[in-house]
Amino acid sequence: MLDYVTSYLHSSLTPGQAGNWLWALVYILVIFAGVSGIVIVMNWGERKALAHMQVRLGPMRVGPHGLMQPIADAIKLLTKEDIMPSEADKPIFWLAPVWVVMIAFSVFIVVPFGPTHAVTDMNIGILFMLGVSSLGVLGIVMAGWASNSHFPLMGALRSSAQMVSYEIAMGLAVVSAIVMTGLGGIGPYGIGSGAGSGTLSMIGIVQAQAQQHVWFIFKFFPVGLVAFFIFAVAMIAETNRAPFDLPEAESELVAGFHTEYSGLRWSLFMLGEYAGMVAVSSIAITLWLGGWLRPFPSTHGPAINIPFLWEHPEQGVVDFAFSFAPALVMLALAFFSFFNAMRMPKHPLLKIQTIGLYAFGLVLAGVGLILLAPPVRDRIQDIFWFVFKIACFMYLYIWYRATWPRYRFDQLMKVGWKVLLPLGLGVLLVTGIIGLGPEIAAWLKGVV
Amino acid sequence: MSIAPLLNKVFMVDLIKGLKVTFKYQHPKEVYTEQYPLERPAIAERYRGLPRLNVNPETGETLCIACNLCATACPEHLIVVQSERNPATKRKEMTSFTLDISRCMFCGLCAEACSTDCLELSQDYEFALYSRDGFIIDRARMERGSEPTVYTR
Ligand code: SF4
Ligand code: SF4
Repeated sequence: MLDYVTSYLHSSLTPGQAGNWLWALVYILVIFAGVSGIVIVMNWGERKALAHMQVRLGPMRVGPHGLMQPIADAIKLLTKEDIMPSEADKPIFWLAPVWVVMIAFSVFIVVPFGPTHAVTDMNIGILFMLGVSSLGVLGIVMAGWASNSHFPLMGALRSSAQMVSYEIAMGLAVVSAIVMTGLGGIGPYGIGSGAGSGTLSMIGIVQAQAQQHVWFIFKFFPVGLVAFFIFAVAMIAETNRAPFDLPEAESELVAGFHTEYSGLRWSLFMLGEYAGMVAVSSIAITLWLGGWLRPFPSTHGPAINIPFLWEHPEQGVVDFAFSFAPALVMLALAFFSFFNAMRMPKHPLLKIQTIGLYAFGLVLAGVGLILLAPPVRDRIQDIFWFVFKIACFMYLYIWYRATWPRYRFDQLMKVGWKVLLPLGLGVLLVTGIIGLGPEIAAWLKGVV
Repeated sequence: MSIAPLLNKVFMVDLIKGLKVTFKYQHPKEVYTEQYPLERPAIAERYRGLPRLNVNPETGETLCIACNLCATACPEHLIVVQSERNPATKRKEMTSFTLDISRCMFCGLCAEACSTDCLELSQDYEFALYSRDGFIIDRARMERGSEPTVYTR
């Protein structure tokens, strides 16, 4: 039994591939908890960042700077009355939120948080992700249909129309990135002789980026960037976020597809939506932003293997320098919360809150110090960079929502069909032509 | 389409400008919200809040001469002044003064009509109540003037 547990520790495979059920279960639980944690943080962060962008303060009362607000919200939602409309289609009404959450979380099976940090690696990983994540729309359609009410139905209709028009552009952009994995060359413009790995596996895609020493967003410079741009737009439409939040448009459709939902069921929808945002962001990160690779992957030491660096410190100075990043980020956050605790108004009512903020800063600083220790420092790196990139994407989501007004439906369709679709086809073509450049040149020579 | 607007559209200059604006406004010094019970807003002097009856600061006697001008001026007829003649001084003296702030629209006509600057609209804005009973305020309440609510835990 003990052998079974420890044998995996020296494996360089994901638990799913190694066939280790126990560790797969551990990974599933950790990822589930982690993603839920991100959703909780995001709940607070979104309200806070959105408030500051609208020159408001946001939650301030529950805990220092409203840090405990998500907990208060959760308690409120769990204790609320659970209403089911009498004319609703009961089983489907019940199933819809569960479905949305299930789909949003099952996508994470193949998300690689590190070279071995995924539940499993499929040889069709990216296909699995796209396929499963677009099933989430089915949950929305079910909710809209089962509510037996006008607004949810309108929201569901919009959602399905939106999915149909954006999935295509999204797919084309993804294919262009997959084509790039098949090229062997090194560097942004490297084409190289001999095919690369040419893979659909999520881990394989990141490894291809590591071998080519470039994030695919910089590959063939504007091409990768345009493909990423298409995906970034389609991704927002997929997750029904502003400025493409037509299915729930609160100023037009009350709350769109979840108008009739309340309490726990409603919070499941929210959980599903935020988990879905994390999921599509991790597709974008894996395909274009180098997954778990740190910035400037071209300056990696001779071996691209990031873990176990502390056993071979000679492998690269840059790697060594970058390995401090997680600790530094944590310490910076700790400093930030200390700074804010000192700036808190000196008022007897705020005393507990100030102490709480100091304590929070201490916890952050403690985590930062733990991350400084060499074994932790090198093992945590890949996960840190992945989560860091997710955090950037989450911030962008909030930023977009605070800035841009909602698109009209015809504008949305116009952007999808008349701009993104041709652009996606063009990007795919250009990627193919550049990738096959040498062959095409040779063929032309033969003809002439 | 001429070239400049086209480029503008392709590179989404307007959208990026918008992003810049929202990003700038994130700075904490831009925050406009007041943490209400902890910090109170500065009320302008001309603000028309809860009516107040002024007293002579030296003697503590009311300045009201019970002339009833305020009650006549009030478009809502919500001021009731009662008085009786003091046989000794032969002067009218105000015995009770009530004002129904649930109907008051804070127009300030009563204060304008007052011949002795006794009735005045103060800067007090904290007079929300849990029941309708307290809305008819009497002379004592009006002479005390503003009573800021103090919040404890
Ligand atoms: S402020 Fe206007 S409505 Fe209020 S008591 Fe005076 S005159 Fe009447
Ligand atoms: S107008 Fe002034 S002095 Fe006359 S009754 Fe009213 S408050 Fe008193």
